[in-house]
Amino acid sequence: MRCDHCAQDAPDGVFCTRCGAHQGTTLESGKAKSREHRYAAHPSEHVAQPSVFTTLFPHLGHNKIHEFRWAFIAGLAGVLLLYVAGLITAAILVSAFLVPVLYLIYLYEAQVYRDEPAIVLGFTIGGGVVVGIVVTLFERVIYNPFQYFPSPFGGAGISVGGVLILGLLIPVIQEALKPIPAFFLPNRADFPETVDGLVFGVAAGLGFSVAETLIGFSNTLANLPPHVAPGTWIYDLATLAIFQPLLQGSATGMIVATIWRFRRGRLGGREIGGVAMAVIAHVAFSTGTVLMKDAGINPLFVLVWQAVVVGALLIYIRYLLHYSLLEEAAHMGFAETVCPNCHMHIVASGFCPNCGMALSAAPTSVRRGRRPRAEPAAAKKT
Amino acid sequence: MAIACPRCNTQNPDTNAFCQACGTPLASFIAQPAAPPMGPPPGLAPPVVGPPPSAPPPGAPPPPPQYQSPYYAPAPGYAQPPVHRTPWVLIVSAVVGLVVIMAGAGTAYAFLNNRNSNPSGSSDLLPSPSPAGSPSPVASATATPASGGTASNATFSVTVPAGWVISSKDSTTIALTDANGNAVAITSGTSNPPQTAQQNKDSLDKSLAAKAPDAHQCPNTKVTNGSVNGAPGIFWQMCFTLTSGSQSVQAAAPLFAGANADGSVFYGIVLLTLASNKDNFIAEAAPVLASIKWGLH
Repeated sequence: MRCDHCAQDAPDGVFCTRCGAHQGTTLESGKAKSREHRYAAHPSEHVAQPSVFTTLFPHLGHNKIHEFRWAFIAGLAGVLLLYVAGLITAAILVSAFLVPVLYLIYLYEAQVYRDEPAIVLGFTIGGGVVVGIVVTLFERVIYNPFQYFPSPFGGAGISVGGVLILGLLIPVIQEALKPIPAFFLPNRADFPETVDGLVFGVAAGLGFSVAETLIGFSNTLANLPPHVAPGTWIYDLATLAIFQPLLQGSATGMIVATIWRFRRGRLGGREIGGVAMAVIAHVAFSTGTVLMKDAGINPLFVLVWQAVVVGALLIYIRYLLHYSLLEEAAHMGFAETVCPNCHMHIVASGFCPNCGMALSAAPTSVRRGRRPRAEPAAAKKT
Repeated sequence: MAIACPRCNTQNPDTNAFCQACGTPLASFIAQPAAPPMGPPPGLAPPVVGPPPSAPPPGAPPPPPQYQSPYYAPAPGYAQPPVHRTPWVLIVSAVVGLVVIMAGAGTAYAFLNNRNSNPSGSSDLLPSPSPAGSPSPVASATATPASGGTASNATFSVTVPAGWVISSKDSTTIALTDANGNAVAITSGTSNPPQTAQQNKDSLDKSLAAKAPDAHQCPNTKVTNGSVNGAPGIFWQMCFTLTSGSQSVQAAAPLFAGANADGSVFYGIVLLTLASNKDNFIAEAAPVLASIKWGLH
């Protein structure tokens, strides 16, 4: 067939395997070329769907996503059980490690690090842990929680100094320092795709998150009795297990993805907006949390606010990644391969002609298993 | 011999047809002959193929492209590398293992710390209402000497010892902080409608409960009645986890809530410190409490 949009010869399919355009669609279902109704990393979703796993775990295929979701739910159920049992120290530890451990499994599953796991994991997760330790200790020096504790007299009381430090200064410092390990990855030239940068950034952010929780909660972990009344710990545990790691991972992932785009000479408004969005989202997350806690607002609303901010951040990442994949997958040569999303045996270059997945987001094992095929035009002449 | 990718310069083994980093076709592949076209995989409808193409007459528009199947049938004996490496059982097991290990380690760690922090079980001898029943603060010999500075508002005044700072101040409340960051907040004002000391205590408990996930009366302490420099009221001690930003500490707050005889005036004092430092800070803050001069009675 000849693609409606890039006008190149391509195997017949629902999607052009060269440019990813959705063939024969009407404007009602979305623009065929930009196909925002078919997210390039997981075509069964719209780009604007705030899904955690298909955004931050972009190399996973359709079935594998569900397995990771169930594993995450199992971990959250474990946290809930520990909370109900009053084993808060244990629940804090599980919350701190849950998402980072899942991400480690994902990195192994997708082999994003290819043949150099030590260097990549050391500079991303390991580097994030080191930065997390340094920044959290610094935070402890400049911020005394007793000094800014809102007066219990008269209910609500907002500490302006506390809001400025926790809501503005600390998030900006964190976002400036967290990407550093991934930025200095020695073999970064071997990982040129934006999706690689995103994954490395998320890994660095999750390493940071683990260190931040363990250092920040060290006093509580050391002094909390083994068994306490559960109280309202569930709200703090939800933040620790879900929203804090997702925020730290997403924000750093977006910034590092932007750095990767810059290195490819693709720094546009969307990328600059991505950095701004990461910082603004972190500031909004922290400021909103501090303000609502100081004002004595129901903690459920704090969680809702955190979820809204993280959701907005995820959607922005998806737009950034979607357009990066559409742009960057187009160079891939023709090959026989298996689509990790729909599992069809396809003849394709950059995109699965059947489901439209960008094959540059395929796991390493799939990319290495590609068997070369001649270009369709060449095939016609033979 | 390694082949450099023309796009990203990654060095690839010369057996590679595509760059292992970015997927770009390598030079060694460009001259490779085309593989024969394959039909769709089993279960899919076969393509509709038209008559064989004939050479177009000169000047005629190019013919539309022929059908090219987007699918191929794997050659017999060829083992496609697995798409996924990790069985789902392993993924779920890893998470369940994490929960079990961390639950065990966390509980054991908490038990060990708890045992180490209360070796003699003597906490039941703590001076429970210590900030404390009227005269006791004055009697403290270890108190920080006052610098002579005074903080005051419309309802009371208090001496600020050397090394302490006024962290906040308004018409009813003054908060002081020592050099280690421990805080004392003092308040007094009029109540309308009138409130008893017990009602003022309940308000403070409710306010703390809203700010901490586990506010509770500190173990081995009692609620007692007394007075601070003529203001009658109730002494008690609350323990809780104070989480602020990414920091979380085990805090203790010895408290005093009082009211005058008709309930028209309230008095309140909160000492805020680490739970492990509670007794030391009560002693350190004693001269501050002893120096309070209530303006409303």
